[in-house]
Amino acid sequence: GVNVTDHDLTFKSLSELIQNNITPYVASLQAKDCPGIKNLMQKLMGQLMNCYVDVDSSDEEDCAQVSQNRIRCSMTSLISWYENITKKTDSETPSRKRTSSRHLQSPPVVIIFKDMESFTTKVLQDFIVISSQHIHELPLILIFGIATSPMIIHSLLPHSVSSLLCIELFQSLSCKEHLSTIIDKLLLTTRFAFKLSEKVLQVLINIFLYHDFSVQNFIKGFQLCIVEHFYSQPLSVLCCQLLEAKKRVNSLSHSQCENIRRLPSFRRYVESQESEKQIALLTSDNFLKEAVQKLLEDLHVYHENYVPVLRCLHVFTSSLPKYPLGKQIRELHCACLESRVWESEDYESSLQLARMLNKSDLVTMLQKCVEIFVSSSGKEFDKVVEKLKDFLAQFQKPEGACQEQEESISSQKELQKKTDLYHLQKTLLELKESRRSKKLTKFEILRFEVVDFIDSLVRNYLVPADHKTLHEIMYFNTASTLREHLNAAPRIALHTALNNPYCYLKNQALKSDGGSISNKAPDICIVYKLHLECGRLINLVDWLEAFSTVVTAVEGPNGDAAVSDQVDDIIHARFIRAVSELELLGFIKPSKQKTDHVARLTWGGC
Amino acid sequence: SLSKKMKEDKMSNPVEEYFEAHSSSKVLTSDRTLQKLQKRRLNQETLRDLLKKAPFPFAAEIKELNEEHESLFSKWMLQLHLGFNIVLYGLGSKWDLLEKFRISMLQESVHLVVNGYFPSITVRSILNSVTEEVLEHTGTFRSPLDQLEFIMKRFKEDSSLELYVVIHNLDSQMLRGERSQQILAQLSSLPRIYLIASIDHINAPLMWDQAKLSLYNWLWYETTTFSPYVEETSYENSLLVQQSGSLALSSLTHVLRSLTPNARGIFRLLAQHQLENKDNPSYPGLSFQDFYQHCREAFLVNSDLTLRAQLTEFRDHKLIRTKRAADGVEYVLIPVDDSTLTDFLEKEDEDV
Repeated sequence: GVNVTDHDLTFKSLSELIQNNITPYVASLQAKDCPGIKNLMQKLMGQLMNCYVDVDSSDEEDCAQVSQNRIRCSMTSLISWYENITKKTDSETPSRKRTSSRHLQSPPVVIIFKDMESFTTKVLQDFIVISSQHIHELPLILIFGIATSPMIIHSLLPHSVSSLLCIELFQSLSCKEHLSTIIDKLLLTTRFAFKLSEKVLQVLINIFLYHDFSVQNFIKGFQLCIVEHFYSQPLSVLCCQLLEAKKRVNSLSHSQCENIRRLPSFRRYVESQESEKQIALLTSDNFLKEAVQKLLEDLHVYHENYVPVLRCLHVFTSSLPKYPLGKQIRELHCACLESRVWESEDYESSLQLARMLNKSDLVTMLQKCVEIFVSSSGKEFDKVVEKLKDFLAQFQKPEGACQEQEESISSQKELQKKTDLYHLQKTLLELKESRRSKKLTKFEILRFEVVDFIDSLVRNYLVPADHKTLHEIMYFNTASTLREHLNAAPRIALHTALNNPYCYLKNQALKSDGGSISNKAPDICIVYKLHLECGRLINLVDWLEAFSTVVTAVEGPNGDAAVSDQVDDIIHARFIRAVSELELLGFIKPSKQKTDHVARLTWGGC
Repeated sequence: SLSKKMKEDKMSNPVEEYFEAHSSSKVLTSDRTLQKLQKRRLNQETLRDLLKKAPFPFAAEIKELNEEHESLFSKWMLQLHLGFNIVLYGLGSKWDLLEKFRISMLQESVHLVVNGYFPSITVRSILNSVTEEVLEHTGTFRSPLDQLEFIMKRFKEDSSLELYVVIHNLDSQMLRGERSQQILAQLSSLPRIYLIASIDHINAPLMWDQAKLSLYNWLWYETTTFSPYVEETSYENSLLVQQSGSLALSSLTHVLRSLTPNARGIFRLLAQHQLENKDNPSYPGLSFQDFYQHCREAFLVNSDLTLRAQLTEFRDHKLIRTKRAADGVEYVLIPVDDSTLTDFLEKEDEDV
């Protein structure tokens, strides 16, 4: 895949695996180390010999030899080294023979090319041609890491070279699957007290899906969330396992209690209580601590129940056509965290669809749900499981279907009996009537019941976390800081600073409306503004004059004719400074097209 | 459909503007030049003096901004220790801010300050200062990559080593090359090397690809300071400032880049010759005849005249100096100090 940053780990584990199971001779090469065939050979030799030393670091002599050998590295020396090694392994270490008995005489040498795309074609071709000539003496296996598609082999290597290779393709897991496992293991468990709020998760997923597909970056973002949360939120001390948290609640200081009282979710809680309790909560620390412990317990139970119900709902919604609530469980998770999920239109339509499911699907789904609930640790699910099993059992009974069949058969029989037109019409009408008013079959009733039951589960347990008291302790929810630090836009920052300095410098004199800029603004802003009005090339003299006109307009009232020369020089100097700053920032560059002109490197309004 | 059309208009606007700006090769600007302005050109010294006299508006607000940034220092330290590296962006020089950070937080520990805006800085000099002063290793390395490997090995072995690296202007002319960034990124990915850097150029993020970004592990901080780029622009060769002093490495490379391959070869030949004789104090330079012979052997020129023309061009750019010795023979010299010349040749080798 294109997520090059994650590949290192894969290659590392791959080479370890090969080293342990098949052959001790594994080397991995990176394009940046090998600009020429000489460097490549050197690196390769070094790695192979080091590999060898790594595996049996018994003889010191060999080590010294190796470092000497590094100076002159050629294919012949590699081969002779290899022959030596194989001889040695044959005679000296029978243990290895046993492990790699299949390649008794010659364990293959594996070379991993980590990033095939960035290698120079010539180096690669040369290496392949050279090594293919020595394949009899030196059994080589090359592994290429390809970020794009296998087509690249054929476009990088000419036919004569690629025919020397015997290619077999392997596919690695797509990065999306990695992401879903990570979300599964990291977010949708109760093992970790730290949680992400909907917006933060959305930002992380967006960066993943729209920018880099890199799981490592996702993890980095997650790490940043943890750091930020524990750094900025004073109550994050309570963000740990329940027992530990209860202990810590007891040892809270008075100011920390005040912090709790200040939490918006706690205020909401207080307002919903009776007046006496309110007073107690707001004044007595001890009473508050007790209440907080209870609330934390609630929160914990909520988490325990949340995950299995979410998975259950996912089982239902993921099989519906068009996926109204999303295909992946992460989308469902986001939707549930965002607002009350049962109020959304998507949820409504998915329930409608669920009411039309056929029997076999429903049964398999229910079975899955039972599995989920059984494996979950929540205490309240015994009843739920019982109920679900009950449903299942009822489905297993074939009555519902039989009844239906009987009915239809009998009616058909009636149809066959009566032959004259009048009777036929009558019975048909009756049949219609009966169908319309016919009671739902048992199956259908059951189906409704199941769906309603699921619905009630959702309503009970999937309340968004924002509505819970004390959710601030566990949930990190400042998405803006995350976006700022991970996915910054330096160009926009520069643009606003130059265009509208008021954003940063809170001075009334700088406040301006629309596109115009106050003439008291910093020099660089004025120069920038003037340069925006120009085309591709800018005449320095005109620019300077425009600048001095703007600036002297400010100083005009108290400017004297006598000192004007002095002032002129200063303005000139200021102009030079501002222009060279713009050059440093990359907005303009000196141009040779015309004397004393500079070229603009940006276009339009930014 | 009208609203849709409006939307399309808006969408294509920046693109349109680009083509509008570049459509006509003719540019309508006035023909006035600075020569006619009857103004003496300023040199660096007078410029600095004049700027000292210039008013400095909004000092209070700028101070407020800076204080806001300074309150983040302890957070930066925490995040550096957690394996992130910090990059600062925004308008205004971040030199003072980083210097304050250094003074307030890094006094106690080993740290390295790199002035990226300095025009003859190279990655090699950064690596040298790491190996020589931090690791106290006196030895030379064949290539920066070997040196990097050595550093990485030492840092992995010795867990007591810690190093803070402060880089002003990571995006400067000399450090923005692909190879230098690669090396710096790898350096910064070491767990006990903490990097804090500043960037200014609008296109600075273009120099990092996925792999480098993940090595750098950046946390971005916007630190708009509005303070003038005093140090940074003092080396920027503005059109309006009189040039003085010896040739800097960056200008050398720039001039050379715009020449033909043969001309570059000629200059290279001369430079190599001069470096071979750098220990000989009485070396007068390469005589023209010898020079011509060498160039002919390397198929760089085909006649006396072409070489002379080429040398004239070099002389116009102040790349060479010629002088006549007592015996009347013309000698050619490059008036650049040897270290710059060595750096230049190395850089050329990398590019080829």
